Amino acid sequence: MRVLTRKKWLLVISVLIIAVSLFRCSTRRQPVDFTTQVKPILNKNCITCHGGVRQKGGFSLLFREEALGKTKSGKFAVVPGDPDHSEMIRRITLNDPEDRMPYKHDPLSRQDIDILRRWIKEGAHWGEHWAYVPVKDVAVPGPATGLLKNWIKNPVDNFIGQKLEEQQLLPSSPANKETLLRRVSLDIIGMPAPRHIADKFLHDNSEQAYAILVDSLLASPHYGEKWTTMWLDLARYADTKGYERDDSRVIWRYRDWLINSFNHDKPYDKFLIEQLAGDLMPNATDDDYIATAFHRNTMTNDEGGTDNEEFRTAAVLDRVNTTWQALMGTTFGCVQCHSHPYDPFHHEDYYKFMAFFNDSRDEDTEADYPLFRTCNDSVQQQLSALTSWVKQNVSEQKAKETYTFLKTWQPAYNSLTCDSFTNSELTDTKWLAFRNHAISRLRNVDLSQKNLLIYRFLGWPKGGGTWKIHLDNINGPVIASTSFARSKENAGWQYAETALKPADGVHDLVFTYDNPLVTDSLLNAVIFDWFYFTEIFPGSGKPGYAVMKKNFWKLMTADLPTTPVMMDNPSSMHRGTFVFERGNWLVKGDKVTADVPKALNPFPTNAPRNRLGLAIWLTSKQNPLTARTMVNRVWEQVFGNGLAETLEDLGSQGVPPTHPELLDWLSYQFMNDYNWSLKKLIRTIVLSATYRQDSKVTPELLQKDPYNKYYARGARVRLSAEQIRDQALCISGVLCDSMYGPSVYPWQPPGIWLSPWNGAVWRQSKGCQQYRRGLYTYWKRSAAYPSMMTFDGVSREVCTARRIRTNTPLQALTTLNDSVYIDLARQFAKRMQKEAGVDTKQQISEGFAWATNHTIDNRSLQALVKLYETALDQFKADKDKAKKMLGEPGKEVSVETAALAVVANAILNLDEVVTKN
Amino acid sequence: MTQKELNDQRLVREAQQAVLRMHSRRHFIKESAMGLGALALGSFLGSCGRRDSSSMTNITFDPAHPLLPKLPPFPGKAKSVIYLHMAGAPSQLELFDYKPELMKMDGQDCPPSLLEGKRFAFIRGVPKMLGPQAKFSQRGQSGAWISDNMPHLATIADELCFLKAVTTDQFNHAPAQLMVHTGSPRLGRPSLGSWVTYGLGTENQNLPGFVVLTSGGRTPDAGKSVWGSGFLPSVYQGVQCRSEGDPVLFMKDPDGMSRDLRKASIDAINEVNSQEYTTYNDPEILSRISQYEMAYKMQISAPEVMNINDEPEYIHQMYGTKPGQACFANNVLLARRLVEKGVRFVQLFDWGWDSHGSDENLAIDVGFINKCRQSDKCITALILDLKQRGLLDETLVVWGGEFGRTPMQENREGKKMPFKGRDHHTEAFTMWMAGAGIKKGYSYGETDEIGYSTISGKVEPFDIQATILNQLGFDHEKFTYHFQGRPFRLTDTRGKVIEDILA
Repeated sequence: MRVLTRKKWLLVISVLIIAVSLFRCSTRRQPVDFTTQVKPILNKNCITCHGGVRQKGGFSLLFREEALGKTKSGKFAVVPGDPDHSEMIRRITLNDPEDRMPYKHDPLSRQDIDILRRWIKEGAHWGEHWAYVPVKDVAVPGPATGLLKNWIKNPVDNFIGQKLEEQQLLPSSPANKETLLRRVSLDIIGMPAPRHIADKFLHDNSEQAYAILVDSLLASPHYGEKWTTMWLDLARYADTKGYERDDSRVIWRYRDWLINSFNHDKPYDKFLIEQLAGDLMPNATDDDYIATAFHRNTMTNDEGGTDNEEFRTAAVLDRVNTTWQALMGTTFGCVQCHSHPYDPFHHEDYYKFMAFFNDSRDEDTEADYPLFRTCNDSVQQQLSALTSWVKQNVSEQKAKETYTFLKTWQPAYNSLTCDSFTNSELTDTKWLAFRNHAISRLRNVDLSQKNLLIYRFLGWPKGGGTWKIHLDNINGPVIASTSFARSKENAGWQYAETALKPADGVHDLVFTYDNPLVTDSLLNAVIFDWFYFTEIFPGSGKPGYAVMKKNFWKLMTADLPTTPVMMDNPSSMHRGTFVFERGNWLVKGDKVTADVPKALNPFPTNAPRNRLGLAIWLTSKQNPLTARTMVNRVWEQVFGNGLAETLEDLGSQGVPPTHPELLDWLSYQFMNDYNWSLKKLIRTIVLSATYRQDSKVTPELLQKDPYNKYYARGARVRLSAEQIRDQALCISGVLCDSMYGPSVYPWQPPGIWLSPWNGAVWRQSKGCQQYRRGLYTYWKRSAAYPSMMTFDGVSREVCTARRIRTNTPLQALTTLNDSVYIDLARQFAKRMQKEAGVDTKQQISEGFAWATNHTIDNRSLQALVKLYETALDQFKADKDKAKKMLGEPGKEVSVETAALAVVANAILNLDEVVTKN
Repeated sequence: MTQKELNDQRLVREAQQAVLRMHSRRHFIKESAMGLGALALGSFLGSCGRRDSSSMTNITFDPAHPLLPKLPPFPGKAKSVIYLHMAGAPSQLELFDYKPELMKMDGQDCPPSLLEGKRFAFIRGVPKMLGPQAKFSQRGQSGAWISDNMPHLATIADELCFLKAVTTDQFNHAPAQLMVHTGSPRLGRPSLGSWVTYGLGTENQNLPGFVVLTSGGRTPDAGKSVWGSGFLPSVYQGVQCRSEGDPVLFMKDPDGMSRDLRKASIDAINEVNSQEYTTYNDPEILSRISQYEMAYKMQISAPEVMNINDEPEYIHQMYGTKPGQACFANNVLLARRLVEKGVRFVQLFDWGWDSHGSDENLAIDVGFINKCRQSDKCITALILDLKQRGLLDETLVVWGGEFGRTPMQENREGKKMPFKGRDHHTEAFTMWMAGAGIKKGYSYGETDEIGYSTISGKVEPFDIQATILNQLGFDHEKFTYHFQGRPFRLTDTRGKVIEDILA
């Protein structure tokens, strides 16, 4: 019946399509379009030698003004309106291969030459690349035929249908309910639907059943987990700091912030503003600060002997690259060294943009300062009480300052910025250390209205000695002199304060330290972490002063959990930004101020010139890239490929979108009608008829559209590393669905972690914790979780805009043999025995259905039953093997369970199970 | 449908698909500027599963399989590479760069001219000069200076080609190692071995194409990134073979599952997958079927090749191996076995050469000598063994660290160190190569009389990379991959083939 219907369709539609095509052929020739016709020819054949970096013969085709200029030979390569006097046309049509362009390559085709001639004749108009033009409201094309009209569920299908028609393709019939259920669950929540949601859908035969399913999935807390998983690659999230030592970093609160934000469907513009500049928002909340950990996922180099400024700079560059790559689908890294060879970005643009990020407080410190200190309720109450006391008794400004300092220990000077050492040193190139008769310098300290120095340090047990602070130079007046108390052996970091004599303005401070008790001239007696220049706790004489002062000290020294966050320098610590000549950070060129590339939307006039302004610019509806990048990414998550395949590059070197109008329509909807709601965007996509199609393919269709670029069938894509894990946990019935918190350690083979100079060990999580979703797995950059890496997970050292799916025997070996999957096979077998009756065939059939959501066919069932029998025979003959298979040596085990575990292992390896059909 | 019919249908479809993908699959085809059109289909034959004798089936070509063997753009001298990386950076001044003048300065303050404007990892203030802590003699016909620390290697001096004036601009381990192996001090670029596997595929489908072996108890400082695939598809990353547990992760069947039960299980998986194929017709399913077949074969081949027990006694003697233990000598022998089996790139990292003098193991006069003892005999054996098997002509052996060591004694934080040691030194160090069209008994480049700077024949890591690629049949300037809007190459914008050392 279904087949007949399809054939009829085919006939009717073919006739219509032929009619339409005939009509199209008869229309007049259109003028040449620069973007779609000319630019590809230039990019393919010319721009390598005549572009931004190399301008051979003084000729560049990057910008129109360059292309129309006089070349080195004195001739004009392009004379608008006059192809016959355009040197470019002459050179590409020569016969002598020595002179003909492209040099040392095959001549251009007749068609290409014709396009270039016509383009010049028509005035050599320059078109802007599609992705740099603001998104406009696109009219939804009307369905051309009555039959497609019935197929269409929402406007997505109008766009897809139009292209199908052009390609003379027909959509596939809808996927059956079970397949669709599995597909949409994996797409929205990253794992099979919880049973109550699934059952409701399968039993609901109403029109709205599918929409209800989609809404329940979008409302599930697992939704946030799935989309966070995607975001972690972009944010280069990891639980370690990277580089050689790759020590632990506590930053999971950012991951939890993501889960919550997705689950609350925080508007995408707000979602980005908070991550880029939460700290700068008026009345920033704890969450706003935690959001900025997005850009603290850069790496920190703890290797001794490394230059902290070099790696601070590397982190800033990474923030620039990630902002462009992840949020605006643009590869900005090129511009670090020279003007972009293909896209309209200049060398200075990179550094102007970098200036937005270059004033952040972080300086490659071992502690990852600045840190945001999270308070529990009672500490938070004390803090609030203290802050309001200061507000009432001193000033609002002072209250703010106190609050910021107690939450962040900022703004402090990191001791690693000291220089000019005598008998002193940056120990392990991380902290200032004093030996006896030490001298060293801290530069450019603003002492206006400062009369107290609070510092964090490691003391020497015997204490003693005199630390003096001289103003400007070693002979300058002493503004502070202090001695150190005795301290316990291994007391750890301590805090102390010393009074400062008034000294207005900015000064270099020279430190000296002498201690007669220190007899070993090589002993590091005092080690400093940071210096905070401030005023004596304010409000002296007001009621409650003594208690509040004590509380201040208590809160400052409290041992609180921390998260690295973004914070900017106060104006007195402002850091200038310079162009790096050819990208080399040691060779500084012109000084620049913060700005955005001219080629894109202008910087909003009333926005501050800092990260907050930048975030407002980036999420402006006039920004041509932000919405398109995200829509394209969501499409890729759902269909396996972006509408523009190169998620990482929407620029002129990326693959152009297959459906540019659809990309723009969705982007416009996303920003406007949906008010940046991601859930609405996803809902629209998955409710389309396009999405709901069956993914079976016919040989004819495969030949016509091997990569499903036109969507005449549903997407068929291998699951991601995390989905494979999460799904296996669900099928086996052991998923631990607790959310949030520190990362966990599921089973991992021994010997994976062997970083030099780092004794960290993988301690396997206990009980349910080892069955948590993949996104909670502890992520060590230099030795990421091996089974996920095998399935194309990324190490997250830098932002990865797109995972490239591969298919290798090592993946097979992972799901066949990794102890995690063996363990899950055992659990799966036990679940089959427990929940699927006593008949083996029944057990296998049901187990198969849990894994694939559909009934097993006879041949497949036979194959699995045969495997069961083979295994059973072996285990009966050798019970020891059965015990080993079940991991229960020495115990009485059921050979049936062991045989079923072998079948379970096979089911978890089926193509259909690791693939989204 | 029978298995046979299914198979025939599959082959026809694969061939069609292959053609289609050649035209349109962006990741693997378009992005290679040198063009992977030169696909060596024939040589793939030895490996894939079922086939019959009709002419069509000779193209057992799996379009979704990115590792099939490919011909290089021009015929290279080397078919495979064994890269011996002494992680931590061994001292050239105690091995190959003989500096009698330095001995005369031993214990004197370092002249200020050597310190002005220089950055060192740990040296502060004015350090003392440290004379060579080894005896040197000239060896073989070529008269190469080799110290007594490498008595075995000294006997094959005439097989080696020394590069005496190697420099780098990275003075910390991790970035310097990345520089040597990925052409960039930052993370994120593909390693040499990944480039080679990407360009040439693998000869033996039952083994990974790029194998990494580590010893010395630690992975290299830069972590797995030194054998990572960077922006190349992850399938090209190095596969670390381990000396304890599974030789390759997850290679071993679970306890209690016999080989024939595993076979039965893979047969069942593939049978169900075949059924699925008749419904969905997606060629990716066929691809998965063949991956499972390959996985099964790899489970046999990998442990086989990793098991050195079947080597004759004289080979164990020759290499000084210790079966059952994790040690460098075992890895060196494994390298030969792997290359023999068609593995393209074998990367060894031996950790523990960072002779700062901060403890006994890291002392130039104690730990360093032990490291030399552990590696001298087996490396010598490797060269001789490859030679006796006729493999040296097609195997390029490379030896080196990530930088060199200072002619000054280290004084960390301005203090005297408990043992004799040398700090990291970027301006001059020694590497050597052997085999595969490299000159024998030759020395290229020279340093000044104390081994501080280069005088002639200066080369940087890019030049060595260019030369290795050249020996494999690649022009390093044309071997590119398109990423982030531009073509990337291993040697970035630098690198020159060291023509002088080519035979």
